[in-house]
Amino acid sequence: MADIRDILDIERPTGPEVTKEAILGPEKKAKRLIFNGTKASKRPEGMAREVFALLYNDKKDAPPVFPTDTGQGYKSNKAKLGMKSVRPWKWTPFSNPARKDNAMFFHWRRVCDEGKDYPFAKFNKVVPIPTYTEAEYQSHLVAEGWTKPETDHLFDLCRRFDLRFVIIQDRYDYVQFKKRSIEELKERYYSVVSALAKVKTGPGLTAEAKIYSFDAEHERKRKEQLHRLYLRTSEQVEEEQMLQNELKKIEARKKERDKKTQDLQKLITAADHQQEPRKNDKKFSRKKIQTASSRPKIDQLVRQSTELSSIKFPDLKGSGVTVRSQRMKLPANIGQKKMKAIEAMLQELQTETNPMPTEENCTHFNELRSDLLLLYELKTAMANCEFELQALRHQYEAANPGKTLTLPKILQPDPPPVKADESGSGNGQVKNEIIDVVGSPTAMTG
Amino acid sequence: MSQPPAPADFGPDSGTRMKGVTVVKPIVYGNVARYFGAKREEDGHTHQWTVYVKPYHNEDMSAYVKKVHFKLHESYANQNRVCLKPPYEITETGWGEFEIVIKIYFHDTNERPVTLYHELKLFLSGSDAQMGKRLLVTEWYEEIVFQDPTTYTHHLLTNTKPITSGVYTHETNFEEKKKKSLDSIMKAKATVRGQINELKDKLKLAKETIATFRAEMEKTKQIEELQSC
Repeated sequence: MADIRDILDIERPTGPEVTKEAILGPEKKAKRLIFNGTKASKRPEGMAREVFALLYNDKKDAPPVFPTDTGQGYKSNKAKLGMKSVRPWKWTPFSNPARKDNAMFFHWRRVCDEGKDYPFAKFNKVVPIPTYTEAEYQSHLVAEGWTKPETDHLFDLCRRFDLRFVIIQDRYDYVQFKKRSIEELKERYYSVVSALAKVKTGPGLTAEAKIYSFDAEHERKRKEQLHRLYLRTSEQVEEEQMLQNELKKIEARKKERDKKTQDLQKLITAADHQQEPRKNDKKFSRKKIQTASSRPKIDQLVRQSTELSSIKFPDLKGSGVTVRSQRMKLPANIGQKKMKAIEAMLQELQTETNPMPTEENCTHFNELRSDLLLLYELKTAMANCEFELQALRHQYEAANPGKTLTLPKILQPDPPPVKADESGSGNGQVKNEIIDVVGSPTAMTG
Repeated sequence: MSQPPAPADFGPDSGTRMKGVTVVKPIVYGNVARYFGAKREEDGHTHQWTVYVKPYHNEDMSAYVKKVHFKLHESYANQNRVCLKPPYEITETGWGEFEIVIKIYFHDTNERPVTLYHELKLFLSGSDAQMGKRLLVTEWYEEIVFQDPTTYTHHLLTNTKPITSGVYTHETNFEEKKKKSLDSIMKAKATVRGQINELKDKLKLAKETIATFRAEMEKTKQIEELQSC
């Protein structure tokens, strides 16, 4: 410590006082003194401690007074000023070729650019408006509701205001001619232009090789629509939002329904497979087994049951010792709900939930539970179908008052009366138009 | 331990497996319980019970089983009990039912031990609990399946001696139980298959009906549209 103090040129305490610190050691005293020495630069009131800590380094030096960073760093390069002599500028008169009045103006211009055209003149674009003669008008341009003077007036305005139809309509001479909408003006203008384009090719027409056909009716409707959209009340906006949400819901439901139909088809196919005699599979698996290796019978059975069933039971085919009852364990991926359902159905069938684990029992029990799961899924699907049939029927009845759709007899819910029929029998109107959709013989009697 | 002499070419260390061979050893495990008739004063125990593992057929399991490990409830002094030779059983007294973990170890260390779980049963679930029968037997049939056993294990498995020269029976008539089990399963299976078939046809019809209904709805919609136009 003493060395450091020497290097840093920190004063040693002189004239020790007889205090506790002096007895305990000079180090402590020295530290205290250092702190005392820098006491002048105490943290100003209101300054955050963290900010203050940034100002002072551990040597307790005062912060630099002026910036020491002289490098370019991240800053962009400064403009490089050329050392050439300055090009001279001159106050010159100029005329804008875009103007027709030959007005003379003055501006500052480089001497070297003298004599050149006014550079901004090229931005003055002129829309070519076709012209027509009296004869042309009489032969091609006569239209109902329009006279030649009015057409002339329109074209004059078009030329003057560069086809800015909003302004044209504003400046239209309503005193002399009748009031016209923008659409009418546009329609007339474009019809004249296209008629002219067909009969002649001349200045202002060659450019319009593509004839623009103006659909006035569409335009009118569009504006009307926009107008209505603008005039909606907040209630109407809300209603629309609501309806859109409903539409989304309906679409989602439709999607779900389609998915269900697909699932249903899958289930039916699965059921078909389950019902078919297993001969084919047996042959197949036997062949496979024979080619692979002569597997014992158990494996074959296990494979069959797992291949066909919807439950994938653990096929403990690996070598080693296992307990038979392990093969009857329901795999966890079935899910609690289905497991419970299977258990309940087993109870309903008065079958043990843990039969004696012989080989035969295992195989059949596993197959049974696969079937049960399929049955459970079929039941769920059936319930969905029934619900949907009901919903469709109600929809149909709502859309076609007085008509109803009749379910085939097998599909009718157990409490047989069809509600709609019963309620409708009072006024007698409902019955007269029953559509026999499926053609079951009993349907017509309802 | 009575271990049959193993030929030199396949010792416990060879570990060669016989592919495609399956040996099944049926066993019976469970417990018997006897009610004291009254609660014992010193410790409140009410029953004496014996948990056991024994072969289903009349054969000496010790030929291939090295030891059987019973794990009792933690409230028992040294809850891990090991039986090195038959009979594989533990007799204890107690007042409550709990799950006993039974682990069967084999002579060949290449074969991993198998684990059984047994719910110790002391009380009859019926109303005649404790009263009529003093001795309660709760035992289960199980099969140990040796898939692709090592040559050593296979040798041990196929060279077992009978335990007794007399008739070897169990308290439970497993043959009858097996038959009953299978019967009920097969019956249930037939029922379920029938239901599936029926439901399947119903579903097909329902599907078609839904399609028809939908078509019908579409038709009305189209008519409506035509009318509105």
